[in-house]
Amino acid sequence: MKFKIHRDHFSNGLQQVLNVVGSKASMPILSNVLIEANGETLSLTTTNLDLGICTRIKANVEEEGAITLPVKRLATIIKELPNSDVKVEASPNNQVKITSGGSLFKIMGISRDEFPALPEFSDDRSFTIEQANLANMLKSVSYAQSSDETRYMLNGVYFTFSEPEDSNGSGKLSLVATDGRRLAKIDYEMEVGEGLSGSLILPAKTVSELTRLIDKGENLKIAFNDRRVAFQIHTKDEADGFVGDILLVSKVVEGNYPNYQQVIPKETHQRIKVERELFLQSIHRAALVATDKSNSVKIQISNNLMELSASSPDFGESHESLAIDYSGPDLQVAFNPAFLMDPLKALSKDEIFFELKDEVSPGVFKTLESFLCVIMPVRYT
Amino acid sequence: MERQIMHVDMDCFYAAIEARDNPSLRREPIAVGSRSSRGVLTTCNYEARKYGIHSAMPNFIAVRKCPHLVILPVRFDVYRFESKRIRSILNQYTNLVEPLSLDEAYLDISSDKRNAVSIANDIRRQIRRVTGLTASAGVAPNKMLAKIASDWKKPNGLFHLAADEISEFMSSLPVSKIWGIGKKAEEKLLAKNIRTCGDLQSYSSLELTHLFGKFGGELYDLCRGIDHRPLVSNRVRKSISVERTFSTNLESLEACAEKVQSLFLELEEELFRLKVDRKIAKLFLKLKFSDFTKTTVERVGLAIKESSAQTLLREAFGRKALPIRLIGIGVRLATYHASQSQQLEFEFQN
Repeated sequence: MKFKIHRDHFSNGLQQVLNVVGSKASMPILSNVLIEANGETLSLTTTNLDLGICTRIKANVEEEGAITLPVKRLATIIKELPNSDVKVEASPNNQVKITSGGSLFKIMGISRDEFPALPEFSDDRSFTIEQANLANMLKSVSYAQSSDETRYMLNGVYFTFSEPEDSNGSGKLSLVATDGRRLAKIDYEMEVGEGLSGSLILPAKTVSELTRLIDKGENLKIAFNDRRVAFQIHTKDEADGFVGDILLVSKVVEGNYPNYQQVIPKETHQRIKVERELFLQSIHRAALVATDKSNSVKIQISNNLMELSASSPDFGESHESLAIDYSGPDLQVAFNPAFLMDPLKALSKDEIFFELKDEVSPGVFKTLESFLCVIMPVRYT
Repeated sequence: MERQIMHVDMDCFYAAIEARDNPSLRREPIAVGSRSSRGVLTTCNYEARKYGIHSAMPNFIAVRKCPHLVILPVRFDVYRFESKRIRSILNQYTNLVEPLSLDEAYLDISSDKRNAVSIANDIRRQIRRVTGLTASAGVAPNKMLAKIASDWKKPNGLFHLAADEISEFMSSLPVSKIWGIGKKAEEKLLAKNIRTCGDLQSYSSLELTHLFGKFGGELYDLCRGIDHRPLVSNRVRKSISVERTFSTNLESLEACAEKVQSLFLELEEELFRLKVDRKIAKLFLKLKFSDFTKTTVERVGLAIKESSAQTLLREAFGRKALPIRLIGIGVRLATYHASQSQQLEFEFQN
């Protein structure tokens, strides 16, 4: 194998794949990237067996072939090379020579034969979505995923594709995430053909990789069956050197997602319109006195007034007041401030609705579109 | 400002209640406790004390000393009821009441303008009228002295120690009267020919710290009759537990498991009865082996159910190859602070 490549293209390509490495000492090959030189392109593949990524970049291939190299080290070296022209040559004993300007590196690789291939699978269902839309949806809900490994079903984002409910309606994609204390959900109208309804739980690690990858082009294709999901992410074939699509193949979280509909309040009690930025800043300030031990912000609503307060016995207390348009009954409820701030940070609308009932009922953020976030309160005893 | 602290102590509370409720036994030596031959006495009356019997004495020894001793079963619900009545009497005099157990309490009456001795006599009279039981009381400028004073004229007595009498009183007071000095410490002091607090006063704080560690520093103050501890009303309960000593030692894990099953039910009743609203931090299980050594296993994160107690039992049982004399199970409560707020969770039902 022998090829010439632009340093920045090679580096860009490696940056896309270097997060996906295995942690098992017993399989050093999983720390490596598979480099395959074919025709006019170089394809770079990494996998940790649960998740794999493959991207292609343009290169000047003189001799086709393949090798695997430790991806983290390689990425560091390539990024630091002195000259934009890089030559790479692999010898039959798996040693790879990298030259650029006055630099020369010889790196020990592992034969491609040991590298586990990305799985191929029957894609029972496939859909095409605009990358920007999916990126926005993931951002709107992913903070609510659970990181508690004993609730592994919640360690991901739940995708549901639904067919139209009647002939006039539209199909939709819903994304849901919850950690058992708050739940975020967003819907997006899209075409879902007859018999194509289906759902999957996308693991948290895949969610974060996908979020990182989907700002490079227009559309992406998602295909899945009961065990695996694949994303074909279109890239703009331009200055950064990418060719074709980035492929992300992942296991899904196997198991049944809890019936989340039942925790979304059916009725609206008191609805308050809040200015997102203002509300976010007030919560943030009020929470500055909170500690791990007393991590809550109390919200008191009265006629046209919202008061936020927090206190910790060791440190002190804070009070914030905001004018709001409200004439319902007085009410008081406390929340973990992070749970309030996460959706406010993720949204971009200027005005959103906040619905409350009493101190033991959840608060709900809503936008007119299709977003909601249900947050369980902190109760004082 | 000089404090006025009162210590009220019921005279052999449990035994006195039994004597009150069984008038025919009034002049007999009475003890309360488990009636099994292996049990120990919880308490006894003054008649019994004449025979050298005291609380925590094993039954068989007590019976040897006094063959006609009447041992009555413990009736905690009755004692608790009387204790509640007594506490409500104490609460009429001040909000600052620190109960130590069912039968004794400290009161801070510093802010009361009336004469401390007449308050103490009022309280004792009222307790007598309401419950038919006698109480002794001590009044002094601090908790340690008040407790010593209540013991001074027992039973049915009152002793008032004024601030200007402390120095003389302390110089002849035996060291064993000081709170915190038990048998071991007393022996240590006797070896140095220290018998009274007066003897102890000739030692510097540093010397006492060498002898007794951290307690030595406290001892320096205590032997001079100085004690700044404030009253702690509303003591926060740290744990709730139930335990049982068996009439014959349990040899097998299966036998223990059976007892754990019934003890766990008792623990649940106790938790219900005490209306515990705080979070439970962890479950624990205690075993006393036939050689009287103890072991305790406790673990965070176990569900509060019988199977968890059985898990702890298996672990504790395996620690020593000896028969089991006593099993206790209980829960440690989370600190009050952590329980002030609680993040609510969704209840998913599939």
